[in-house]
Amino acid sequence: MNNLPFGKTWRLIPHDPRFSKPLRIMKISTCLLFAFVTGVQANGIAQKVTLKMKNARIEEALNAISKQSNLQLFYGENIDSKARINVNLKDASVADALNAVLKSNNIEYKIIANTISVNGKTEGSRSSNIVQQGVSGTVKDKDGNALAGATVTVKGTAITTQTDESGHFKINANSNATLTIRFIGYAVREVAVSDRNNLNIVLTSDENKLEEVVISTGFQNLNPKLFTGAAVSLKGKDVIQEGTTDVSRALEGRVAGVSVQNVSGTFGAAPKMRIRGATSITGENKPLWVIDGVILEDVVNISNEQLSSGDASTLIGSSVAGLNMDDIEDINILKDASATAQYGARAMNGVVVVRTKRGRVGKLQVNYTGNFSVNLKPNYSNYNIMNSVDQMSVYAELERKGWFNYSPTSRAENGGVYTKLASLIDYDESLGDYGVKNTDEAKGAFLKRYALANTNWFDLLFKNSLQQEHSVSFNGGSEQSQLYFSTSYLKDNGWAMGNNVERFTSNLNANFKLSDKLSLNFITTGAIRNQQAPGTLGRVSNPVEGRYSRDFDINPFSYAINSSRTLTAYNEDGSLEYFRRNYAPFNIINELRNNTMDLNMLDLKFQGGLTYKILDGLSFSSLGAMRYVKTGQEHKIRENSNMAMAYRAGTSFDPLGVDSEVRKNNRFLYRDPENTAAEPETVLPYGGFYNTTDDFLKSYTFRNSLEYNKNFNEVHDLNLFVAQEIRSANRQNKSNIGYGYQFDKGGVPFVDPKAIEQAVANNLPYYSMGPTYDRQTYFLFRGAYAYDGRYAINGTFRYDGSNRMGSSATARWLPTWNISGAWNIDREKFYDNSSVKEVMNRFTIRGTYGLTASIGSATNSSLVVKSSSSLRPFPTEQENVINIINLANNDLTWEKQYEANLGFDFGFLKDKLNLTVDLYDRKGFDLIYNARTPAIGGEYKKNFNYADMRSKGLEITLGANIKPSTDFSWNSNLNFAFNKNEVTKLEGTPIIFELVGTDGGPLQGHPYRGLYSIPFGGLNPKTGVPMFHNGSGETVTYIDPQGDDISFLKYEGPTDPTFMGGFSNTFNYKGFSLFALFTFAKGNKVRLNPVFNSSYSDLDATPLEFRNRWVVPGDELDTNIPAIPDRGTFNGLNGEFPYNSYNYSDQRIAKGDLLKLKTIRLTYNISNKLMEKIKLRNASLSLVANNFWLIYADKKLNGQDPEFFGTGGVALPVSRMYTLSLKVGF
Amino acid sequence: MKKYLFIIVLGATLSSCNKFLEQEPDARTKIDSPVKIKELVASAYPKSTYIAFAESMSDNAGDKGVSSRSEQNSFPWEFKDQVKSLYDMPARYWQECYKAIAAANQGLESIAELGNDPTLNASKGEALVARAYNHFMLVNFFARPYDESSSSTDPGIPYVEKPEVTALGKYSRGTVAAVYDNIERDLLAGIPLIDNSTYKSPAYHFTKNAAYAFATRFYLFKKDYANVVKYANLVASTGTIATSLRNWNGKYKDLAYYDLQAIYTKSTESANLLLCEANSIWGRSFAGYNYGLNSALLAEIFSAANNPVKIQLTYRSKIFGGTETVFNIPKFSENFIKETISANFGEPYNVIPLLTMEEVLFNRAEANANLGNNQAVIDDLNAFLSKRITGYNESNPNHKLTLAKVTSFYPNLSIKDALVESILNFKRQEYIFEGMRWFDIIRLKRTVNHRSVKGDINLTIGPEDNRRVLQLPTEVIASGLDKNPR
Repeated sequence: MNNLPFGKTWRLIPHDPRFSKPLRIMKISTCLLFAFVTGVQANGIAQKVTLKMKNARIEEALNAISKQSNLQLFYGENIDSKARINVNLKDASVADALNAVLKSNNIEYKIIANTISVNGKTEGSRSSNIVQQGVSGTVKDKDGNALAGATVTVKGTAITTQTDESGHFKINANSNATLTIRFIGYAVREVAVSDRNNLNIVLTSDENKLEEVVISTGFQNLNPKLFTGAAVSLKGKDVIQEGTTDVSRALEGRVAGVSVQNVSGTFGAAPKMRIRGATSITGENKPLWVIDGVILEDVVNISNEQLSSGDASTLIGSSVAGLNMDDIEDINILKDASATAQYGARAMNGVVVVRTKRGRVGKLQVNYTGNFSVNLKPNYSNYNIMNSVDQMSVYAELERKGWFNYSPTSRAENGGVYTKLASLIDYDESLGDYGVKNTDEAKGAFLKRYALANTNWFDLLFKNSLQQEHSVSFNGGSEQSQLYFSTSYLKDNGWAMGNNVERFTSNLNANFKLSDKLSLNFITTGAIRNQQAPGTLGRVSNPVEGRYSRDFDINPFSYAINSSRTLTAYNEDGSLEYFRRNYAPFNIINELRNNTMDLNMLDLKFQGGLTYKILDGLSFSSLGAMRYVKTGQEHKIRENSNMAMAYRAGTSFDPLGVDSEVRKNNRFLYRDPENTAAEPETVLPYGGFYNTTDDFLKSYTFRNSLEYNKNFNEVHDLNLFVAQEIRSANRQNKSNIGYGYQFDKGGVPFVDPKAIEQAVANNLPYYSMGPTYDRQTYFLFRGAYAYDGRYAINGTFRYDGSNRMGSSATARWLPTWNISGAWNIDREKFYDNSSVKEVMNRFTIRGTYGLTASIGSATNSSLVVKSSSSLRPFPTEQENVINIINLANNDLTWEKQYEANLGFDFGFLKDKLNLTVDLYDRKGFDLIYNARTPAIGGEYKKNFNYADMRSKGLEITLGANIKPSTDFSWNSNLNFAFNKNEVTKLEGTPIIFELVGTDGGPLQGHPYRGLYSIPFGGLNPKTGVPMFHNGSGETVTYIDPQGDDISFLKYEGPTDPTFMGGFSNTFNYKGFSLFALFTFAKGNKVRLNPVFNSSYSDLDATPLEFRNRWVVPGDELDTNIPAIPDRGTFNGLNGEFPYNSYNYSDQRIAKGDLLKLKTIRLTYNISNKLMEKIKLRNASLSLVANNFWLIYADKKLNGQDPEFFGTGGVALPVSRMYTLSLKVGF
Repeated sequence: MKKYLFIIVLGATLSSCNKFLEQEPDARTKIDSPVKIKELVASAYPKSTYIAFAESMSDNAGDKGVSSRSEQNSFPWEFKDQVKSLYDMPARYWQECYKAIAAANQGLESIAELGNDPTLNASKGEALVARAYNHFMLVNFFARPYDESSSSTDPGIPYVEKPEVTALGKYSRGTVAAVYDNIERDLLAGIPLIDNSTYKSPAYHFTKNAAYAFATRFYLFKKDYANVVKYANLVASTGTIATSLRNWNGKYKDLAYYDLQAIYTKSTESANLLLCEANSIWGRSFAGYNYGLNSALLAEIFSAANNPVKIQLTYRSKIFGGTETVFNIPKFSENFIKETISANFGEPYNVIPLLTMEEVLFNRAEANANLGNNQAVIDDLNAFLSKRITGYNESNPNHKLTLAKVTSFYPNLSIKDALVESILNFKRQEYIFEGMRWFDIIRLKRTVNHRSVKGDINLTIGPEDNRRVLQLPTEVIASGLDKNPR
């Protein structure tokens, strides 16, 4: 291979008189360059330059030349920005113009491959050294991409060359010479030749230098000069956390003001993400995700509360779960009203703009990434659960207190060891003996086995599983067409039993340039997911008793922390051991095998765009996208699962035989209302259930835009942008309960008509289907103007229309607007000359004021009526009735917010230190609240735009880039934010139950989700039952959870942290790189798990606090842990719920503060020498630990992560994970 | 040219946008067909009941001396205002009545939108009568009872005739007289339009008979006795009242507890003229409430010696519960609508008989007593007793009520008053646990005495006592409507 494309011209010594003038002026001693200049001039006949500038900086002049000549501009290194020049040229050649600009400043330039490459000052003219030998080499970036056009100079001489398209160069240098390599956006590097004749040089990018930073708003890629908002741009490669599969999780701790709380770690479940806190009281508060310019619609809308519920729908809640992290080019997080202005009435919660990778001009590059992760099993030391001996002593107390009397216990609905004992004490006729003799010795021996069992449920239900992810991408193209293609495969074998996932993604991004004016872009992405989770039913809230409940919960994690360690999974002979749940035999391992949820998802997106340059500076763009998502959940409840057995327990279809006591009490049996005397019957005599839920999304986006971008007289930058878009999204949800599916009999359903009868009688249809339609359109105008790089002003106006609130011509439309400006003080003359500049080289002030909005949760701008069955007891009396769900509200409007933002950007010590400070004040108004009304219109709790909210915040980002030597560098980023929000207006008050739960509730004068507690009033000295202070100043045992006197509740704090941030450090030493990310949060309160009950069963695992429980009168002086009530006390509670109130009292609160070492990564980049040998472009190996160490959390949490408190359903905590990551490029 | 094209395209998109945005956001229905209007009007009945507070305020409730208290029961008994709006509380009843009114109003508006098509007359009639009924119930609980002399100035309750379409509607109380006028107007306009044949489950709708029964109640409150008799006779014209009464001394007598409970509110029971399912815990709770039928009241109300015919009626044998703490007649079976198919919690519903054949009979009898048609009163009461005296024998003179028995039982009263007292005496037994007694108390300005066993509560609530009028819900007062005086 010929590595020396310039070889031929090398020997051309330019003594041609035509070149004498430039030679003289430019004081350049190599001839090579002039050959290129000639070439340019020969090609570019039309490239005439007109320049008229006074006291301009060199960069400005160069920029002007670059623009007029259509030549790109590269700075080899910083040029003296203090120098000022005066030029006055008309229709001059490019070379003349360049000479005029650069000559007086002794600056070199070259023109190569349509690029003006400008180097710094020469140290004066020198004669060429005698050529001793030819040294060749390659210049690449850190990722192994060849750098074309890099300048290689022999230090101390004027011998210079440039690299070719594949990064190769050849230069004449002494064997003891030092080469200086320069390339725009990269740190200058000096390399000693040291007798080598082939050098592999890697340049590290220096982002603080002149690399062109582009702010992507999703609509436009803006020149930062014209951008005046608060936004943060992250490179995809910096965000990647190997092993983490959801990009939204990877943003934790990265950006000031962006909070990410992993309320569930299960694949596909979205984290709770907020940009600058919440803006709505009843809405979703989720930021808007925009991928490649198209709004990413959620398949299902998951509310704040649902996020922590663990319902199966949360698994499809994260719409970015189908995005391969390796495909991400960059992420822009738009925070303030100016940044998000182009999203107008969807922008209130901030916008996350993701751009995926595009094809590049150049040789084909192939990249492979392989991640191999191990999730570590949880450990009892992190959880607050009694061991089996302590637990058995609690049971012994329960027994003494009359809870395990054999006759009722043997027929208990749920039961463990004592229930088993009670049922074995009966005479077993088949054995001709007692299962366990009714003697103290026999019973003691029976219980001893369980007391010593100390079952480790984490061991049984979790494994150190392997997750592997492979991703390969191809990237390359010509001037006319560029292609990026990637595909990836993810397989997670499942950390918790019953969980696993498999994901395939593919992404094709193609650019075609049909002519100088017309270019096209096509993106096709697809993702397929197959996931298995434990079978789960939706969580239901029970305000009557003040608790949430979920039937048949078999989440391995919540099972492990809620199940007694006296239970054993296996009999002594190794077979599965069953205890009782819902009157049916239950073993968690059997259940996880036989009660499963299969989830599959297909997500396809087709996108096409065209850009047409109408005139110079004026271009028209059009974009169309279509996305199609189909998800299905199949809940398979096999015949031998506990859930199926519970439906026939006690009847003649129960393998354990008819039991009239069980039959009477089994709530899953059906009682015929027409026949009051009949025994309850099963609706599921054979088979199990095959329940399906399908969600479907079809969305279209079509957008046209016109952009005018022009620079006038070098000092005026103008950008005008007009756009119009229509968007539609149709969603459909359907579900079906498949009764009597016989999994082990060839899949034939056996449907008992009583099943349908029962469903009808309960007004709970066995199937459902509901579509929703989302239509949106808008018109947008944006204008930006910058003067001399010093002042910029920006204004946006957008007019939105949406159907979401229902058909009403008035509620439908909303104008939003915004105005912002920036002042680059460091560009001012007075600043330029001041000594401050030496220390603080960059100083910008930004300001924004504007209106943003979002559509609230209310849809009743017109009447909402729905049909249902009447609620009458006898099927013969039923008829269809249409009920008014919501009255029409002609005043309904969007939720809105005025936001003011003041930002400061500083650069210190030549940008070695960067500081960004943003202050904001947001006034939310017209927020939807479900307020109580006089009800005279017919709706008591009505959604209307009543509430106001105010939030204020401060965001600080401090970056340091320290590089004491070429081998060592240290990057550090500290970001943190304060956010305080307060509901300033709210009509009506919620009931107690709505305020004391884990999610908290809104109250005027407090945060939008404040956590409140029932004030604990000590333990009853006679019984040890908890007491509380009520609103009338009395100490009582009963607080009605539905009461609406909330004046006595204690305000604990917000449920969202008020202070949070991240601290990351990267150390590079030669090929090694060490990265560590700490995250922290403070200021919120967490409700501890509700573990106290007025009665316990022998299944319950009690926390360690129970050791200090009230036992005898007098204990109330030392402990606040209530007693286990005896039967007499329990009956005296009269169906009141003091223990539930205790769960929601101020005793059961912990601080949510946390400090975490979230990620630690060690990377080794394989040396260039080795790579050359193995023919690789780059290769690296990383070892990553995610969720490595919870350094600080409230002791009351006993090591549990405060972010994760909603156990149950499909929710699992985020586990500690170790990943080995291999990246190879060739 | 290109520019013009662009403008044309932009203009076209603008105008098509409104059309694009017409799409409803979900699968909600539009009230645009006669069937849908009919189904909407079917929800114009209150899904809550007044029984708990009406019964507790009346003289049917005495102290049982039990320690536990339930707000639904103790507050009204002590004539304390209830501010919560839970099951069986006045505020809930207020909300549900107005919700029913909203359904009626929307039905009427949709009928008007469809051009008052004559095929919609039946629905229009039902909506008008239902609207009248809901307002009637509200005005009698939340305002002073009708009195010709004062009602034109007594504050009423908002009479709502249009669907609310703003965030918060503006309403005023008007006067009791104005509310009554509106009720009468709606009632009279509605009755002729009603068509029984349009109902699938007629007992849950205002049939002609139910509307007539309501008219008898309305005119009785208004003391327009001629109209009471007129509408009662219209009921009779579709089947004699006597044969439709509950068959206490026949079929009911032998029913077991749950069977009696099931049949009492069943639509096939001919005495039930109008039923409505209400979200209530009354059925499961009333027996155990502290303030209810105690032993003293049991004797007072049901003893043979304490009624003009001097025979114990069949009810007494169907009073279950061995002790006064749980005395009850199983009148309400609970239909528990579960939250999910396997949940063990949900919403309890009771079916409430809103209008019955017995009431028509009592109303006619009372009107006739006031009109001086004494024999008609005696005839009606005998028809009633023929279903209430165990082992009734028409030829047994002991089983017959006569004017002489009435006057001898109430020796100090005029014949008219003695007749009215006799009617109220039987009526009190008939409607025990159904809250109807309260209406007679306010209508006829009776005094109520509530005395606790311990003696710490001793209330004498006379006809002019402000506490007889329920306080408006807190949100209503907060919205600016005048509260009832205290």
